[in-house]
Amino acid sequence: MADDKDVLRDVWFGRIPTCFTLNQDEVTEREAEPYYLLLPRVSYLTLVTDKVKKHFLKLMKTEDVEEMWFEYEGTPLKWHYPIGVLFDLHASNTVLPWTITVHFKNFPDLDLLHCPSNSVIEAHFMSSIKEADALKHKSQVINDMQKKDHKQLWMGLQNDKFDQFWAINRKLMEYSTEEGGFRYIPFRIYQTMSDRPFIQKQFRPVSPEGNAHTLSDLLKEMYPAAIPNEGEQKRYQVVIHGIEPLLETPLQWLSEHLSHPDNFLHICIIPVPSD
Amino acid sequence: MSSCLLEEVTFHRCCQMLLQQSEQLRDGWSWEPVQGSQEGYLRKTALKSAVISSNPVWDLQGSISDSGSHTSCHSGPDEQGEEKDQSVLVASVDADATNGAIHDDNDGVCMVSEGSSQVLQYEYHIMYSCSYSTPVLYFRASTLEGRSLSLEEMWNSVHPNFRLRLQNSPFTTITQQEHPLLGQPFFMLHPCRTEEFMRPVLQAAQDQHRPLNYVLTWLSVVGPLVGLDVPLKYCTQLHLAASPSRTEPD
Repeated sequence: MADDKDVLRDVWFGRIPTCFTLNQDEVTEREAEPYYLLLPRVSYLTLVTDKVKKHFLKLMKTEDVEEMWFEYEGTPLKWHYPIGVLFDLHASNTVLPWTITVHFKNFPDLDLLHCPSNSVIEAHFMSSIKEADALKHKSQVINDMQKKDHKQLWMGLQNDKFDQFWAINRKLMEYSTEEGGFRYIPFRIYQTMSDRPFIQKQFRPVSPEGNAHTLSDLLKEMYPAAIPNEGEQKRYQVVIHGIEPLLETPLQWLSEHLSHPDNFLHICIIPVPSD
Repeated sequence: MSSCLLEEVTFHRCCQMLLQQSEQLRDGWSWEPVQGSQEGYLRKTALKSAVISSNPVWDLQGSISDSGSHTSCHSGPDEQGEEKDQSVLVASVDADATNGAIHDDNDGVCMVSEGSSQVLQYEYHIMYSCSYSTPVLYFRASTLEGRSLSLEEMWNSVHPNFRLRLQNSPFTTITQQEHPLLGQPFFMLHPCRTEEFMRPVLQAAQDQHRPLNYVLTWLSVVGPLVGLDVPLKYCTQLHLAASPSRTEPD
């Protein structure tokens, strides 16, 4: 496990170069320059865009400003998904920097959750961690933690402190050796081909016969189309943190190393680019 | 004790029973399947008139948006505590009235002049949470023109008595969440303490060999908190229907 700490670091420090531009319909006193940021993959849009907001608000009248939201090529971006998931799902295989449009009007109530303050992000983040631990350990680990430990997880994410976060998070990654893994793997499979936002079910890391389940086993059950039949051309890419892990990778290892800080393994299934 | 958890197949069976009864009672529940899967949810809509206001009248705001962490701090109120809470409530309602008067000329879209009520469309979904192995209640409300109510407006349209109850309730929190099957924003009563409050009820039913529809019992606890009434007839009917033959093993 200790040897794999580099993987945890690589995942934590993953960045996406992003260019924020103001929606053309917004009224400004002079033309708005775009704003560039390196976005942490494991964080949330509304948590890391204070500077973007300040940058554009300088040019606008207060009465023209409502809740800020983001859009990429016509799709409102759900702030409650980790940034890396939004990028992999909507903008994989495109040219960098990722160009995001910033809006201050016409908040799409039917598509996006409101995010009036960081405490809403914190609540969402902690509720994901709790849910993941319900799956992994019947909530025993998270419930045994103290309130300050919960706070440390959140502060670790908010302030981009890897060591602070992992000092607590490693407890959430423990399991007994005889069980060979978590009770269930907290995962979500995303795709953009249907209205259903994601698939999330119960899936064990080890088969009843005692074999380690792999990414391939999970997909066979949850999203069989993602695995090409023999002799067929590959139709989908299975992407986690911007890479395509081998389908033979054990799920338990993926869950421990490639999960987001919210403790879920977010898997994106995207069509293979046609060019 | 695993018997307090609800398995997915049992959830579906409970939903079927609830649907049958709903049909007899004309209570309006329907099953909405998700295309290409076994999954789905129970759905009901209701029209209700309510005075909506987005004024932050309610000292509760913090705990609404802050989720989990706060609610667990509220234990059942002792007598003194209750008295104090009551006075807070009265004070907030007064504040509401004053705010209403002051801001009457404000053209904020959410303002409704004092005392006038509006018809709202409520939508309730009951779904299965495979993470918590419990049912979950999702809901939203909109005006007849189609404008969705915000979290604050939602709270303000809940009867003050129930607001108080929610505030003191150790097992519920309302947050805005993505509907896991539709991908749209809904409000949700968080399921993480469901097992806790269902346990004594299930235990008692088991001890007394009473039939019990988990989903129905659960709904009768959480529904009224957010304006969803569960007619008593569901329960009397359940007993009549189930009393002659009960074969379920324990």
